Amino acid sequence: MNDDTKTSERPVKPKPRARSFLIALVLLVLTFWAAIKVSFDLSTFWEVWSNPIWSKFWPIPWDWVFTKKNTFDPLIETLQIAVASTLLGCLVALPVSFAMSSLTTPNKIVYFISKTVMNLVRAVPDLFWAKLLVTAIGIGAFAGAWSLSIFSLAVMVKLFSETVDAADPRPLEAARSSGARHLPAVKTGVFPTVFPSYVAYSLYIFELNIRASVVLGLVGAGGVGRVIETQRQFFRFDRILGLLIIIFGIVWVIEQISVSLRKRLV
Amino acid sequence: METLSNTSISTQRPPAPKTSHRWLIALPFFVAIIWSVTGLDITLSRLLDAPGDAWAILRQMVPPAFNEVYKRGAVGKIFESVYIAWIGTIIGALVSLPLAFLAAHNVAPIWIRSPVRQLFNAIRAVPELILAVILIPVTGLGAWAGTIAIGIHSIGTLGKWACESIEDIDEGPIEATKACGGKWVSGMRWGVLPQVMPVISSYWLFRFEINVRASAVLGMIGAGGVGSELVSQLSFRNFPAASAVLIMTMAVVLTIDSISAAVRRRIIKGADNTDGNSRTLEAITDLTGIRS
Repeated sequence: MNDDTKTSERPVKPKPRARSFLIALVLLVLTFWAAIKVSFDLSTFWEVWSNPIWSKFWPIPWDWVFTKKNTFDPLIETLQIAVASTLLGCLVALPVSFAMSSLTTPNKIVYFISKTVMNLVRAVPDLFWAKLLVTAIGIGAFAGAWSLSIFSLAVMVKLFSETVDAADPRPLEAARSSGARHLPAVKTGVFPTVFPSYVAYSLYIFELNIRASVVLGLVGAGGVGRVIETQRQFFRFDRILGLLIIIFGIVWVIEQISVSLRKRLV
Repeated sequence: METLSNTSISTQRPPAPKTSHRWLIALPFFVAIIWSVTGLDITLSRLLDAPGDAWAILRQMVPPAFNEVYKRGAVGKIFESVYIAWIGTIIGALVSLPLAFLAAHNVAPIWIRSPVRQLFNAIRAVPELILAVILIPVTGLGAWAGTIAIGIHSIGTLGKWACESIEDIDEGPIEATKACGGKWVSGMRWGVLPQVMPVISSYWLFRFEINVRASAVLGMIGAGGVGSELVSQLSFRNFPAASAVLIMTMAVVLTIDSISAAVRRRIIKGADNTDGNSRTLEAITDLTGIRS
């Protein structure tokens, strides 16, 4: 009887530790400090909504938007940047990923160097690369394509080398035990098992690049962002809104195709 | 004799798969390469000059002028980027968490689920930079425009990830709260939230890492943070200073990445470092939307 009541009692709630309080306090202080620094102000939400500048976004001048020169030529340039840099970035990423995976790396030195370099490249945001290359090799789509190639290489090797890490090591062992040298062993033992995810990740990188190539023009690296930047300087927000609607309609369609392809692959 | 011929048959190599269709698959790639290259106004001279030009700039970047940019207050600018990312992530997390419950198909009815999902998709489609382009004329130049842009964009991605982790839960605890007479809200609070909170909070941290990079970029168009510093140094062609800004930004980004990754690992795996690799891989496949 006594035992029964004891078992039906609630278990004792674990007491929060002093360390948890300390972490919470530090985070709270940091948050308040950061909020002050970015001039956090909830009343601005109201000001934002009642700002008269919103009227400048409307009506959309569709006859300006639907012209070859203003929208479609830069948009095609954007797509070309995305396609070229996806192809280049992912092609280079294939050997680098195998060098970066502990399973398939030829030796420790290559592993260490490729991993370090790629981590450093990835630490630089994509538009920083664009701005750097625009300064170095000139304004235009050429610099944009290079910068996106570098960035997609860095992201792709990160994703794909981790897939290679997790690949089944047994085929590789079998190939090695039959006397294969390093490259043929990797080619026959690992490559076929990870190739579907390679293609799927490439499509994912393509989606990233499509989005990124839209904004490249804001720093002078070609594509449709250049038109946005120009119109922004003229305060023609109605034109920008029209452009954005067209751009994101097209980006959305491309993405849906890519997503459905990826679903079939993996 | 019979057995011998049988063995010789079984040790024959299987026929090689046909490779003729490979060219059919490769063809669109060649077309894509040629088509995309035509638009990039590549000339041979440009292609040959590019590495030299890049090298010339790289040489001017050494040694980095840390002293000069420190005096200009670049450190404060970098921290401003971090603050923007932090507050933006918190805005995104606080708004997306309740919305994610309304978007998950196992806990929300269809009439509320589909509009919330469409909202997430619409938000995710627009990059932070485009949001900032729209917001800057309204809020004015500065950190607050960048913060709102990052906050709004984070709602979309965080909402989607949180919604997916809610859909993956074990539904037993919800049933248990129902059986005790709990309403929908208590089912969510006691049945769902304890299960998903570790995953969702690690997504918040992951998003914070992404947002640090994003807020650094936002400065380039005047939405606060370190980007403006890099742009002005590069426009003045003051390359030692630009490289100093770049290196400092990279240092901060990498530091935050590694701290955040360590905390995420601790949240997902617990104090004992048991099964590591499969969980991180799981998280990556989740985050990239590629599911096996």
